[in-house]
Amino acid sequence: MAVLDEPIKGVPMAKNYINGEWVESKGEIIDVVNPATYKTIGKVGISTKEEIDSAVQAAQEAFHDWRRTPPVTRCRYLFRFRELLEENFEELSRVQTQEHGKCIDESRGETRRGIENVEVSCGIPTLMMGDCLEDIASGIDEYLIRQPLGVFGVIGPFNFPFMIPLWSAPYAVATGNTVVIKPSSEVPFSQTKITELAEEAGFPPGVWNMVHGGRTVVGGMLEHPNIQGITFVGSTPVMRDVIYPGCGKSGKRCIAQGGAANILVIMPDCNVEATIPGLMTSFFGNAGQRCLAGQTLVIVGDDDAFYKDFVEKVTDRARNIRVGYGLDESVQMGPVRDKQKKERILNYIEIGMKEGATLKLDGRKAKEIVGNYPDTCFLGPTIMEKVSREMRIVREEIFGPTMGIIRVKTLDEAIEICNESPYHNGHAIFTSNGKSARQFQYDCISGNIGINIGIVAPMAFFPFSGMAGSFLGILHTQGKEAIRFFTESKVCIHRWL
Amino acid sequence: MNLRTASETLSFIRELEEKAALFYEKLAERFPEKREEFLIFAKENRKTNKQIQMAYQSVITDAIEGCYAFNLEADDYAFDTDLPDTAKLSDAAAKALAIEGKILACYALGAEQSGSLLADVPRNFKIVMKKRNDRLEKLKSFTSS
Repeated sequence: MAVLDEPIKGVPMAKNYINGEWVESKGEIIDVVNPATYKTIGKVGISTKEEIDSAVQAAQEAFHDWRRTPPVTRCRYLFRFRELLEENFEELSRVQTQEHGKCIDESRGETRRGIENVEVSCGIPTLMMGDCLEDIASGIDEYLIRQPLGVFGVIGPFNFPFMIPLWSAPYAVATGNTVVIKPSSEVPFSQTKITELAEEAGFPPGVWNMVHGGRTVVGGMLEHPNIQGITFVGSTPVMRDVIYPGCGKSGKRCIAQGGAANILVIMPDCNVEATIPGLMTSFFGNAGQRCLAGQTLVIVGDDDAFYKDFVEKVTDRARNIRVGYGLDESVQMGPVRDKQKKERILNYIEIGMKEGATLKLDGRKAKEIVGNYPDTCFLGPTIMEKVSREMRIVREEIFGPTMGIIRVKTLDEAIEICNESPYHNGHAIFTSNGKSARQFQYDCISGNIGINIGIVAPMAFFPFSGMAGSFLGILHTQGKEAIRFFTESKVCIHRWL
Repeated sequence: MNLRTASETLSFIRELEEKAALFYEKLAERFPEKREEFLIFAKENRKTNKQIQMAYQSVITDAIEGCYAFNLEADDYAFDTDLPDTAKLSDAAAKALAIEGKILACYALGAEQSGSLLADVPRNFKIVMKKRNDRLEKLKSFTSS
């Protein structure tokens, strides 16, 4: 199969979008590098404090009229926006692959997930409805109405450059708020393209703003008195030490989604043939760079033959994964995002071996890169055996294409391992036994639970959940919880004399 | 060539359908007495491509196994569309039946392999297979003409 065309041509500058205008940042300019080809594909500015202030001011000024725009009208902008996203589906997907490295199937999946959030937010006239009870006392009625709050900051990570800001931004603007989005400076072009389409959809100036950058922008958002709340997806240390306390200090609402080290439990009664593709997707999909990726595989039971056969099948399948540039349609695993991330993953593999794990499949160097691209950011899938629950490769987030295998005797023990993990984002079980599935669902501490699903990614109309270590806040992004987050409940009691 | 990902498999299937569509358009020119039928077949092939592409783009998410859904050998489904100048309608229909056999075999194995992995895509493969029964009957009737 041929390599699909790259949509980003030349070396464009990713500009900020403030108050309906595209403006180049006056801050430091850095290169955006395609991790597969290791070529510079663009440039992006690290915005200054003044630029953030300018975006927030524009958003604040736009809020006055935007909140007075009827929800049915606001959702028409979103319908137009949705249609434009759909029309540009393929280009949007290829941009993600070009700047991030993920396979084209994965990018299209990301595009679909993002669009679904816009679709859900199109239902805002219904979703935003309040409650009413007549005659709470004789002649007195009580209402609950939901009102927007003002400007929200949306901080996105590098691993899902298209989708994750859309877990928040469409709901924020649908409910009558205005937004300032900060994409990861490593992958600025997906949000740039989205913002071009938001502009084409006709959102009034200041409703939808985008400011590129890094810590300066995050700090500026946290400190800004006119930002009412922040949604953040990124690492747990930043979530725990910067975002959550920063929002608390300045009295902002906060949804903070952090890292994960998910555990997938294999029961001996699972459907092996159907399970293995799910494991490949979970552990090695997106090159392991997602907060719902599997990191540890816990195989339950004392049947040596099952264990051996299962591990062999998983290893064989992983060994044959095609590694290469994601725009080649035949590729099953792309590179990790950059050299530093690759080094970090390699370091974790070394740590695992020092702590006693053995390499069943050594992916530290990809055995073959389809298309002969430089191996700067590529890894192969790594599988480690003889892993134990106290090891750092179980308890810390690796964020790479690695699988550590632990063997236990009982499901209770497997659930204990899940529950003692510092992260509780997306643990899963593979079984054909309903009782085991129910026990896992009931007892396992995890915001998202998979039963025969390796990537427990909630659809747009459900909250993207997460618990301790992986999440701080109360309400989550997506669906009805996002509507609650982006609105204040105002209770009104009427008595007409 | 071994096809594994949804993207490459569906691109391959699109190529098969389009190649068959072009073949039917040629037959429509060559056999005016069956022009309508052959043009309908070509139109259906292109409609099928749209339908499957839509199913793929609607269902593809990061939660399903798009990169691991298939294990098809492309060579098993390759076909040529060459027809000798002397070929009669019955020869053309026999050739078309052979082509349909290849395409339907690809759908059948693809549906089986991706059955629990790609949700709506294998379901659409099966819908196409069911619809093609009428076409097969028509082509069979042409072979006796």
